[in-house]
Amino acid sequence: MEAASIPSPASHDGDSHHGPPIANQSSRVNSEVLGILLFIISEMMLFGAFFAAYFFIRVVSADDWPPGEGLPVAVAAINAAILLSSSVTMHWTDVSAKRDNQLAMRAGIVTTFLLGSTFLFIQINEYLHLGFTPKTSASASVFYGLTGLHGAHVVIGLLLLWMSAVRIFKGRVGPKNHRGLEVPGIYWHFVDAMWIVVFTTIYVL
Amino acid sequence: MAAKIRQPGWYRALAFSILGVLVCLALSTGLRAAFAVEPVYDSTSVLQISLLMVPLFFLGGIGCFDYWLRWASGRTVVDDHADHGAKSWRDYFKVNTDHKVIGIQYICVSFVFMFIGGLMAMLVRAELAAPGRQFVDPNTFNGIFSIHATLLIFLFVIPIFAGIANYVLPLMIGAPDMAFPRLNALSFWMLPVAGVMMLLSFLAPGGSFAAGWTAYAPLSVDAPIGQAFFTIAVQFAGASSIATALNFLVTIITMRAPGMTFFRMPLLVWANFSTSLLVVIATPFIAASQFMVILDRALGFNFFNPANGGDVLMYQHVFWFYSHPAVYIMMLPGFGIISEVLATRARKPIFGYRMMAFSLLAIVLLGFTVWAHHMFVSGMSDWIRIPMMITTAIIAIPTGIKIFSWVATLWRGVLKMDTPMLWAVGFIAMFTLGGISGVMLAMVPLDIHVSDTYFIVAHIHYVLFGGSLFTIFAGIYFWFPKMTGRMFNERLGKIHFWLTFIFFNVTFAPMHLIGVQGMPRRVSDYAEQFATWNMIISIASFVVGLSSLIFLYNMIVSWRTGPEAGPNPWNSLTIEWQVSSPPPIFNFDAIPSVVGGPYEYGVPGAVHAVFADSKPEPVAVGASEAD
Amino acid sequence: MLLAISVVASVVGIIFMLALDWFPEQGSSIAAPIDTFWDVLVVVSVPIFVAVTAMMLFSIWRWRQRPGEEDLDGPPIHGSTKLEVIWTIVPTVIIAALTTYAAILLVDIQSAPAKGTRVVNVNGVQFAWDFETKTAAGPVKSAKLYLPINEPVKFNVRSADVIHDFWVPAFRLKVDAVPGITTTYNLTPTKLGTFEVVCAELCGLGHAYMRQTVTVLTAERYATVMAGLAKQAGAPAPAAGASTDAVGKQMFVAGNPATGATACGACHTMKAAGTTATTGPNLDEILQADDAAGIMEMIVNPNKEIVAGYSKGIMPANYATTMTKPQLDALVKYIDQSVHGEG
Ligand code: HEA
Ligand code: HEA
Ligand code: HEC
Ligand code: CUA
Ligand SMILES: [Cu+2]
Repeated sequence: MEAASIPSPASHDGDSHHGPPIANQSSRVNSEVLGILLFIISEMMLFGAFFAAYFFIRVVSADDWPPGEGLPVAVAAINAAILLSSSVTMHWTDVSAKRDNQLAMRAGIVTTFLLGSTFLFIQINEYLHLGFTPKTSASASVFYGLTGLHGAHVVIGLLLLWMSAVRIFKGRVGPKNHRGLEVPGIYWHFVDAMWIVVFTTIYVL
Repeated sequence: MAAKIRQPGWYRALAFSILGVLVCLALSTGLRAAFAVEPVYDSTSVLQISLLMVPLFFLGGIGCFDYWLRWASGRTVVDDHADHGAKSWRDYFKVNTDHKVIGIQYICVSFVFMFIGGLMAMLVRAELAAPGRQFVDPNTFNGIFSIHATLLIFLFVIPIFAGIANYVLPLMIGAPDMAFPRLNALSFWMLPVAGVMMLLSFLAPGGSFAAGWTAYAPLSVDAPIGQAFFTIAVQFAGASSIATALNFLVTIITMRAPGMTFFRMPLLVWANFSTSLLVVIATPFIAASQFMVILDRALGFNFFNPANGGDVLMYQHVFWFYSHPAVYIMMLPGFGIISEVLATRARKPIFGYRMMAFSLLAIVLLGFTVWAHHMFVSGMSDWIRIPMMITTAIIAIPTGIKIFSWVATLWRGVLKMDTPMLWAVGFIAMFTLGGISGVMLAMVPLDIHVSDTYFIVAHIHYVLFGGSLFTIFAGIYFWFPKMTGRMFNERLGKIHFWLTFIFFNVTFAPMHLIGVQGMPRRVSDYAEQFATWNMIISIASFVVGLSSLIFLYNMIVSWRTGPEAGPNPWNSLTIEWQVSSPPPIFNFDAIPSVVGGPYEYGVPGAVHAVFADSKPEPVAVGASEAD
Repeated sequence: MLLAISVVASVVGIIFMLALDWFPEQGSSIAAPIDTFWDVLVVVSVPIFVAVTAMMLFSIWRWRQRPGEEDLDGPPIHGSTKLEVIWTIVPTVIIAALTTYAAILLVDIQSAPAKGTRVVNVNGVQFAWDFETKTAAGPVKSAKLYLPINEPVKFNVRSADVIHDFWVPAFRLKVDAVPGITTTYNLTPTKLGTFEVVCAELCGLGHAYMRQTVTVLTAERYATVMAGLAKQAGAPAPAAGASTDAVGKQMFVAGNPATGATACGACHTMKAAGTTATTGPNLDEILQADDAAGIMEMIVNPNKEIVAGYSKGIMPANYATTMTKPQLDALVKYIDQSVHGEG
């Protein structure tokens, strides 16, 4: 994802043309950041489709809600707090990268990763204790559909964080070289923000 | 051999794919054993997991992920551009990051699928030539028209527009490549994966998917395993679309040449900008609809199971929220092509350039408000019908602005009626007809009668064939000299146009009539009263099919032995024509500067872009004065 | 001159389009208004198409590049606000008018039926319809739809499996049968005769064959036909030891709704039962040489042998489970008698 544009001119033997000319930057926005923002729009629409399913099944078809004997709102709320705090540590990591504070950066990315994993662990544990499965009813399917979709995004987010962590620990991230952290970071913030929406619609409303 | 397997390429792809199958087998049996599901080995389960995973292994093997994995493992990554450009035909079968190579890859692969999809149409017409059963049983028939539509939509029209734009768009805006070349390569390689998967469904037990290209639940949930090939292939085609759209948007926003303001962009760039917006926003919906189907099918979810509180109509809402915008995804890039061809061949500026750009955006916006016009008889709440009818009909206004502006562009021009121009003009007439029948469909009282009849089939083909496909032909003929450096055979091009134009109409015009008279669509057998027309339609459709062989011949032979085209055979002003044909490996030695609008034909001495270094080859109309 | 040509072409086009025989016969109260609406759409559409093509053809004829003009450019006209306003406003007006007309017509079509309307339950299964209605003589369920003329009727449309679509082209009526919900439709049949009932939504391999008929009768005829059907339906269940004849006929024309056994008459023609469907072979013809045991085997195991010209998998293969043994025996006896001339 990095170094997609603006490479240095490299020469080709036997080729009359040289490396690519440096592209004109026609916007102040960085291309990788713009790319991930657009991708997030796409992701929001994916969630949107599942929210449409939620709406149709809960409101239009009036299937029983919540599925099963009530959802563990308290656990989910604690879990939400965990995930949200990981956004804070993510931000801290980002800031540290810009300040070239290698130690803080490492601590930050590790805590973020651990908080994210804890969230996932609690979520899976919740699945095992709910007492209903997607086969139970359409509401249950919606519940698993939305939380599962979000869970899948947490997994992808963790994967990206892992990659950033590897690069951080190899000393490849710094003030001049922080896209590889910033872009996964933006995605991670999105995953966290999305949980607020999912949490509100599923557990609170 | 071992070295070959370590290199990205087909050997490694094959090895990885086999590995993938084994992994899926282990995954399926392992999980089933762990959760004590009987039987432990279940071929359907293995098959479904493989459909999802093996393509990823294949993509890894062919080399789509190498760079990213190297990056993720924290190693230094250098961009040596060794994988840029194509030196022999073999390079087109490798992962390549050059937008021009990828463009050609896209176009060729799409045409392969067009011919396969078209062949399916020939089978459909052969079966329908007379009432009763001719060649195939009803289930195979349902499979054939489903694959016909699916291939032509997801593997022909949508990707070929992406392919044409991949080739010309960076050149047009003065960029050396797309913003994310490796993502671009990945987008391309997902396509053959999706297409091959769809075709493989013919081998699935129970036959290919046969629920139409719309795959309505619960039919698609209950269908045999072949349906899963559709459900999953669409995910790959959709992911490819989204990735390309992101790439176009970022490229257009961040990589325009100096001086290339938004209102100096050629309309093709505008068209792809609008289309990409549609793709980014809408495509996730079809992904979601198919995710829900696969969850219902494979894991027993209840999204579409009314017995457990599921909602059947929800599928249609989610599906059409993508698939209506999808019809504009299949049309707007074509609008862009037509603007380029018309302005150049009529030697006049596009009439009302700004309104042309705004109407594209208007169509994008309106396109999201009309999805339920496919559901007028679906049993959804009655009150949605009138609002949707109104929004749908309103789309005729921005579209009309485009049509009238094109006609006004022709007015008083100097019209060079060569092959690209013939297709462009033919497009305007045919699309107007198809659009008008669309507006008729929008009128609910009529739609109640003609929905799901051959009237719809007629509308589909007037807008998709007379619309999209005509613009594709216009575009392919128009940029053929740029892409290959050679000229096509003009005579054969004209014969291709006239044969197609005439017999296209003989094929699809009568469908309006038999539709209103009462012939339903998607049937392998029909009442005696429609026999005569169906015979005429079938015969005409074979001529359409044969005429496309002329096109194929023309393209292949001209690519190899056609006369040299030179950099700018059409005397066009836009940037892609100011470089050699085919363009040099990184498009430009230095980025050009844009100094004026793209279509200033007839303005003495007008220039669109100037090049800093005065090389002799890229001579433009008037461009030399600016040196 | 361009204008004159366009007007002439439009008039010719409109006359041609209106002269074509588009619609099937008008069998219901809503047919005529819809057909009139179509005429209006044609009258509006043809001139739009003619205008666009005429302008284009005229330009091509008048300004196509002639020898010696290879290097010529057209005049650099960039636009004209006046024109652009015109071609935004005119379509807007047309669209406004058409949608208003359509909306009024739609509200008319949807408007609730008069009180005391007859209700017909339309049930779709793969791949047949059955029709239930309450009559003076009692409830009636049949594979063929009967309606009295000039009496409003309300259809409640349901599906037992996948989506089907209840379409009677002559009535201009179409509505999906959606699993899980009931969709409705109101109209008044206005013409005597037998019309096609077509399934218009892809519902699987037998979709093309899901064609049955509706017969519109005078009120008196309707009453007699219904009374006849009701008597059969009222016949006690076979367990109670009823006449096997009645049970056999009931199975044939109405199936066994309790278990989802589709009526044979939905697909087969058999003179004695009065059914006329053509999805499956005509039983009077194909069963001439078969005995009761053979017929039983064919019903229970329909895919074992396939009648030439028909396809496997359309006739339901589940009769052994959806009909009880006595019901099947009665059915076979009834068919055997009917085709061999005792019916
Ligand atoms: C390229 C693809 C494409 C395009 C561009 C369109 C464009 C339009 N379509 Fe079409 N449509 C399809 C592809 C497309 N469609 C397909 C594939 C289906 C079937 C799906 C399936 O079920 O399998 C379908 C089905 C479909 C239906 C559903 C029918 C049914 O199933 O019952 C409807 C109903 O409203 C509709 C309407 C329209 C309208 C109003 C437009 C408008 O955008 C057209 C606008 C253009 C014009 C009107 C012409 C130019 C304008 C003027 C010259 C100005 C003056 C004109 C007037 C005032 C009328 N379409
Ligand atoms: C871009 C889209 C596109 C294109 C180009 C076409 C092209 C054609 N289509 Fe298709 N069609 C659809 C999109 C398209 N269609 C869609 C979306 C549907 C709805 C499906 C659904 O209901 O789910 C549909 C449905 C559809 C039906 C209705 C099926 C049904 O409802 O039962 C029919 C029937 O005639 C048909 C016919 C044709 C024909 C004859 C062509 C021809 O123009 C094709 C021309 C042929 C070629 C270009 C082939 C190349 C030639 C050869 C390989 C040489 C061999 C030649 C001979 C043997 C003579 N199409
Ligand atoms: C959905 C349509 C449908 C229904 C309902 C249906 N059939 Fe059929 N039937 C067919 C078709 C199609 C064939 C021809 C294909 C075949 O031979 O299986 C057929 C064939 C037959 C045959 C020839 C048998 C053979 O296998 O060669 C008999 C006898 C028959 N049907 C009797 C019945 C009876 C009795 C019933 C009701 C209990 C019935 N059918 C219900 C569609 C149907
Ligand atoms: Cu029932 Cu089609
Ligand atoms: Cu649409």
